[in-house]
Amino acid sequence: MVNQSDTGNKAGITRRKFILGAIIVSIAGAFGSLLSVLKVLSPSKKGSGYVSTIAVGDRLVYASGSNIGADLKASSLNTGDAVLVYPKSKSSNPANLVQLIKLNDSDFKAPTDVKLTDKGFVAYSAICTHLGCTVSWVKNESAPDTSYTECFCHNSIFNPATGEKVEGGPAPIPLAQIGIKVTDNDTLVFTSDFTGPIGPQV
Amino acid sequence: MFKWFDERLELKKFKEKFLSKTFPTHPTFLLGEIALFSFVTLVITGIFLGLLYEPSSKMVSLFGAMVPAAYASVVRIDLLPMGMLIRRIHHWSAMIMIASILAHLMRVFFTSAYRNPREINWYVGLGLFGISLFAAFTGYLLPYSNFSVTATSIGYYIAKSVPWIGNWISRLVFAGDFPSDSTVPRFFFLHVMLIPVLLIGTIGLHMMILIKQKHTEPASNRNKKEAENGKRLIGIPIWPEQTVISIAFFFFLLFTVVIISTFIPLNPIETYGPPAAGTPVMRPDWYFLVVYGFLKLIPGNLTFSILGGKITPETIGGVLFPTFIILVFVLLPLLDKAKEPQHYITNPLHRPFMTSFGITGGVFLTMFVVSGYIDVLKIAPRTMIYYVLLATAGTGILSYTLLRFYNKNNDGGKNVKL
Repeated sequence: MVNQSDTGNKAGITRRKFILGAIIVSIAGAFGSLLSVLKVLSPSKKGSGYVSTIAVGDRLVYASGSNIGADLKASSLNTGDAVLVYPKSKSSNPANLVQLIKLNDSDFKAPTDVKLTDKGFVAYSAICTHLGCTVSWVKNESAPDTSYTECFCHNSIFNPATGEKVEGGPAPIPLAQIGIKVTDNDTLVFTSDFTGPIGPQV
Repeated sequence: MFKWFDERLELKKFKEKFLSKTFPTHPTFLLGEIALFSFVTLVITGIFLGLLYEPSSKMVSLFGAMVPAAYASVVRIDLLPMGMLIRRIHHWSAMIMIASILAHLMRVFFTSAYRNPREINWYVGLGLFGISLFAAFTGYLLPYSNFSVTATSIGYYIAKSVPWIGNWISRLVFAGDFPSDSTVPRFFFLHVMLIPVLLIGTIGLHMMILIKQKHTEPASNRNKKEAENGKRLIGIPIWPEQTVISIAFFFFLLFTVVIISTFIPLNPIETYGPPAAGTPVMRPDWYFLVVYGFLKLIPGNLTFSILGGKITPETIGGVLFPTFIILVFVLLPLLDKAKEPQHYITNPLHRPFMTSFGITGGVFLTMFVVSGYIDVLKIAPRTMIYYVLLATAGTGILSYTLLRFYNKNNDGGKNVKL
């Protein structure tokens, strides 16, 4: 027997086999125990994603421009205009971002919920359902009531008169509608929650 | 002085063994070097930027306005003498680095230098390409402008759209859900530490394999060697010729980048502003335009699920399509094999099928770059899909026919290898 001197014990395990086994077990153990780190590195937060905190009665304020944070005046918008708005003092949550659009009462067709509109005003979530960019307003100066909502990230086009139905581009579902009404002192308030899911549908 | 060092370090032996290694010469053999030198420029400018940057998205006051600390620190860098120039050099070098990696990859493809025995280095090179793209992506977020946050958010939702493990992957890369205050510190570490270390290691491996296997030679060297009955590589030694050329080339490249950066603005964060409600019209840097354009073409109603995994348009455009491209590159050396080790570059004109495949693939991908501009070109997504298919099929048929015709006329098709 050539390997006589290598034999570690009488059970028949050679020294080479023992060392190889020991190395495999220690490497597997070392890396296996490190796998738990992956869980730590990938933290999950409760309440993630787009969860709106808009409450009925919240007043609409400008979300961009020079008078950001100020009360929105209904009389400042003409047919074919649109602005980005937040519920007052709830601007830190991007899920609350809403596009307020002024059209004519006669323009609205299903699936727009006419009960949630007021005096030609209609409001939809401003977060694109594709990949979460903020949508923009493309105004047609010559025919204001044919203006439309477009996300400039990947050119999804939504029709505000028909419940922001997807008219083109990669967005999977329409932007959800939210109820608003004009108050006696020319401001606007929310009157409902979103009618559907908001934010990217991934 | 030299003697003193030589006695201790055996410099002469080193020169004989290593510095006299030969590099074959060909005008297309400098493309990889452009990538390497751009990386050097990136590291040098990156050190300057890293010393002044603050990796935090917490709100601080800047000239009376509340903005994220990262954004404020980049605005301050821009206000320093040469600060904006160095930031532009960094960004331009990144774009040039990826462009030269792509050009280098195309050179290797068309001269079929990925075949036996160089398959391993083909894969190492692909790895370098992937890591560089990830480096670029993590760099997007750091200035924390409106552009940064929107672009990163798109990346986040694409990661999230990976079937089955999307949530876990997106949280691992973005340190939780995006946007949150933990993403910037995570990306900062990835961008300035983990990715550069990985890149340096992988570049080292790429070079070591190159030195071990030796560079492919121009086909003309074969005739020369046969005439002289020689066996050694024909080219120029690392020292002094190659070194002098490389140093000159490095500074020429640096000079070019500085000129470009001086006159052409890039990523003007003061124009984009800090993260805000509105999203401006914006496009990613050129190397992401392929995926960007593809995302625009997929109809939104294409959602289905397989074995509990949800496939959305974002999965198709952001995950499956890039995976498909990578798969083609990975399978290439496995499908186009050579039995004998190849040491000379092949004339692409003598390989009608592979060359036409490469050109067609290039046109196919370029058409998606064009798709990124359908809003400017006023083309409907559906029409654009027809254009993509037409251009691809047309290029394929035309290039293959022409190449076959060329070979028939030149040597009766004797040299043609499918």
